[in-house]
Amino acid sequence: MASTTENGAGSVGAGHQSEADRLKEAGWFSRLVHRPEIGAFSGMVVLLVLLALAAGDVVYNPLGIKNNLAIIAQLGIIATGACMLMIAGEFDLSIGSMIGFAGMSMAVMLKWGLPFGLGPASPLAAFLITLCITLAIGWLIGTIVVRTRLSSFIVSLSFLFILRGATEVCFRTFNGSTQVSGLPDYKQTDFFAALFGGETFQWFYDVLFWLGLNFNRAGGQWVTGFDAKVAWWLVIAGAAWFVLSRTQVGNWIYATGGNEEAARANGVPTDKVKVSLFMFTAFCATIFAATQVFDTNTADAAKGNLKELEAIAASVVGGVILSGGFGSIIGVVFGAVIFGLVQNSVFYISWIDGSYYRTFLGTVLLVAALSNETIRKRFTGGI
Amino acid sequence: MSEPLIRLENIVKRFGNFTALGGVSMEVHPGEVHALLGDNGAGKSTLIKVLAGVHQPTSGAIHVDGQPVVFRNPLAASDAGIGTVYQDLALNPLTSVTRNFFMGREITKGTRPFGILQTAEMNRITREEMARIGINIADPEQAVGTMSGGQKQTLAIARAIFFGARVLILDEPTSALGQKQQLEVLKTIKQVRSRGDIAIILITHNEVHAQLVADRYTFLSLGQVIGSGVAEDLGGEDIRRLMAGGAQMADLEEELAAIH
Repeated sequence: MASTTENGAGSVGAGHQSEADRLKEAGWFSRLVHRPEIGAFSGMVVLLVLLALAAGDVVYNPLGIKNNLAIIAQLGIIATGACMLMIAGEFDLSIGSMIGFAGMSMAVMLKWGLPFGLGPASPLAAFLITLCITLAIGWLIGTIVVRTRLSSFIVSLSFLFILRGATEVCFRTFNGSTQVSGLPDYKQTDFFAALFGGETFQWFYDVLFWLGLNFNRAGGQWVTGFDAKVAWWLVIAGAAWFVLSRTQVGNWIYATGGNEEAARANGVPTDKVKVSLFMFTAFCATIFAATQVFDTNTADAAKGNLKELEAIAASVVGGVILSGGFGSIIGVVFGAVIFGLVQNSVFYISWIDGSYYRTFLGTVLLVAALSNETIRKRFTGGI
Repeated sequence: MSEPLIRLENIVKRFGNFTALGGVSMEVHPGEVHALLGDNGAGKSTLIKVLAGVHQPTSGAIHVDGQPVVFRNPLAASDAGIGTVYQDLALNPLTSVTRNFFMGREITKGTRPFGILQTAEMNRITREEMARIGINIADPEQAVGTMSGGQKQTLAIARAIFFGARVLILDEPTSALGQKQQLEVLKTIKQVRSRGDIAIILITHNEVHAQLVADRYTFLSLGQVIGSGVAEDLGGEDIRRLMAGGAQMADLEEELAAIH
């Protein structure tokens, strides 16, 4: 292969410096520091160390790890959807309201039965019907965006209000109040409900127990497993990573966000890409809601409030550029860890007012956005 | 003399009352660079848009390989082997050279659109195709944004050729570049020309660049062909005069001389 290259290039640069040579020096280290996720990764490491110093055991004991990962996983699930869509150059501000809507839909069906008097709802039926509705709404949002060429910011902002309002109305109409509580503990009896609300990776805590690191005051095993949402996060993020970095549609997503006109001129179905990704964020919001409903057996109209902004923020911290075309799922995994950890752990540090966490997150977001902008300039505006 | 790959016969394009092209005829031969010159508003852009299938001519005919063709849309033109490299190059600066080269036409294993990218093969092809027209890229996975303007132009040209362009339309390929980069692009054009099977239509403002690579000229002014010919028959003076719109320029020079 190398020989063809040299033959073909006969007339260029034989002996003297050509343009291409200027980039040859990029070794593994330079490649590493130029990866889009490097900033988020460094931030995460610093944060982990600081937390160990400031809060210590409370954060890293078996229960601390479980609780932190539950928060991180929840955020990670919706951040994955938000990140894919942002790379394709669009926003979805309806994620939080979609979570509330999906939770309402599932809980109301579980409590009051299927629509049209079709009898009691199983967890599977409640989930599938809800998923059909949310995917349809995602399709609608995406279709409005690509057909009207309105900014997705405005279209999805409209749906932020529309869905939140619809959620409250549905709650009152079908349930009488804006919350459902006291559902049976489906995860104990129903395999499907346990997939969302149960525990996962129990072996991890079994091993810790066996090592003598995981016992309660009575000497029995303390924590028994991670929340199922951790597994969902890993599956969704893993699938998204694979699609984005290894498949054809992944290249279409980057192309759509990087230069939509160019993508279209080269035959990329940019509208289909966008609509599918709006449906994907709706899917992620529905999974988020399912893990919540089947874990706590409750739902209320305020669920998911502001989550869309947290998802976007975690994506930005993970290196995704607001204007699209650049970013990685691995970065967003780190971004979700940073966000989740800070949200959950600052409260363990006794000498800090817990409310500083928002101030801190805002600062992290700003720094991340600035560094992303530097990266973007380096690629688009020359060196 | 080879058969013309593409022949335009009396192409007229009107937009309402405005006649953008008033009966343009030209021939483009494989292995030749055909320079299309003219001042702003001469109709160059309209002509290439007709060739690229963006506009349909009001009257007149386009022949490819001697057969009359009608391009209803850009896709039809590109299927007929007409590759247009516009000034913005249709690239995504934030992703790799390979990802841009294969944008929308990726080599995959498995079912569309979730087929797995054959990255190693695509990298190899990208590197080879770029090298064939004279640019040696060190790393096909580098971001396009890190390439020089000339390299980007080469990437867009290599891509058009690889995906079947036999007529390559280059729209002001040297206009936004520095001196050295301009020469690099001209070198690329000559490399493509030397393959012998591709016809190049070079749209430019710059008569020096045209003289360096062109075999044949067509001069447009106000939607009309005001001169054409092969390079050997045209002197630099002719080229400069025709480029500026012929007689208009002489008038302007007189007017200029009249002002003190």
